[in-house]
Amino acid sequence: MDVKYINPFLDSLMNIMPQLGISDLKRKSLSVKGKTIKSPGVLINVGIVGDLRGNVIYGTTVECAKKIASSMMMGMPVSELDEMAQSAISELTNMLTANASMGFSEEDISIDISTPTLMYGDFTATASSDKVICVEMLILGLPFEINIAIDRIS
Amino acid sequence: MKEIKVVVVDDSPFSIALLTDILTESGFQVIGDASSLEETIEVVGKLRPDVVTMDMTMPGTDGLECTRAVHAIDPNINVIIVSSMMDEEIVRKARKNHVAGYVQKPADKEELSLIINRIMADGELYKELEVLYYTVFKEGFVDSFNKLTKTLPEFAEKTIPSVELVSRGISVVMGIIGKYSGRLLFDLSYETAERLSTNVLKRAPKNSQEMFNVIGEIVNIIAGNACSVVNKKNKLFGLRVAPPTIFHGNSLNISKPDLESVTAVIAKSDFGEIYMSIGFQRGSSEWMSNI
Repeated sequence: MDVKYINPFLDSLMNIMPQLGISDLKRKSLSVKGKTIKSPGVLINVGIVGDLRGNVIYGTTVECAKKIASSMMMGMPVSELDEMAQSAISELTNMLTANASMGFSEEDISIDISTPTLMYGDFTATASSDKVICVEMLILGLPFEINIAIDRIS
Repeated sequence: MKEIKVVVVDDSPFSIALLTDILTESGFQVIGDASSLEETIEVVGKLRPDVVTMDMTMPGTDGLECTRAVHAIDPNINVIIVSSMMDEEIVRKARKNHVAGYVQKPADKEELSLIINRIMADGELYKELEVLYYTVFKEGFVDSFNKLTKTLPEFAEKTIPSVELVSRGISVVMGIIGKYSGRLLFDLSYETAERLSTNVLKRAPKNSQEMFNVIGEIVNIIAGNACSVVNKKNKLFGLRVAPPTIFHGNSLNISKPDLESVTAVIAKSDFGEIYMSIGFQRGSSEWMSNI
């Protein structure tokens, strides 16, 4: 697991979120954790194959997910993380990962991504990689994390 | 298969003649040509081809502007850039403009023909996968299960999941990527996972981590085998799997899959109930070029 895999995901977030009307983005911390990821409420899994192989697992709270979904739906109030809101957040992670894959291609790393799967509740994820890089952010003042569990294919 | 109609856009009469020859020899019907933005709009608007081959450099315009003009007329027309210039920057811009493929000049007859046929086969290919995938994954499940545990699961009627899933306790998610992307999901209770992993290990798992590893590996084997079978039926599918992520907890809800086609089934095994959901979608399809 290489630290240089972080930037395409960060750049993508910084690039995509303002396009969705969200500019309140703060980088909080960067850490390396084991393969266990505790759900802050919502986790979205996106698979990756190509020169790199693994998963990116986005995590956030239900409150933050609802705020992002509301912003994505032109400010429509979102009181529940219903099917529409879940679909919006899934689409967001699809955009974020697709944009990151273009960032990787500029580094001559070619990857393809799967469709996202969103889960919510009180649960834990076990990642495919032994070491997971976790980028913690604050979006609209609320926690949002990118867990990167990818390995280079030799 | 119906004849594929092509319009050639190029500012050089020599290139138009050459491409027309190549395309005609490959069995395509060249119904017109254009050498400027105005002509492109006129010819494509009138003739409505299936495919447009597009030069990149033309006086007063470029291939990308012409591509946007073609898609303004009909977004379903497939534009293939045929150009001597090809670098990352151009390719990236072409992708952003929804170009379907890219061939470098001098265009090779076989290569151009393969790219056009692949792009045009898209609709048919997806139908082929829709008919195929459920049976293949179910058989992959049965075969792998039989080899690993010497037992055969029994399947209930297949369903189309229309609501979110409340997990039984453990969910294994695997992304599938290729010509079409999709997702495989297995869901089972802790008790089922424990009995199943005990059978496979021939002893009780040392801890929950080992149990998750066993369950993840079983799903990995099923997905890998099933994708190989799909790829053998038609190599254009080119399916690959991302490694499994395992989700577990007492309160775990999995959103309704945002997939074009998805099928779910409950298998009754000797170890307990196992839910499988598998689906695919079109779009964001693989970029076709000779790079």
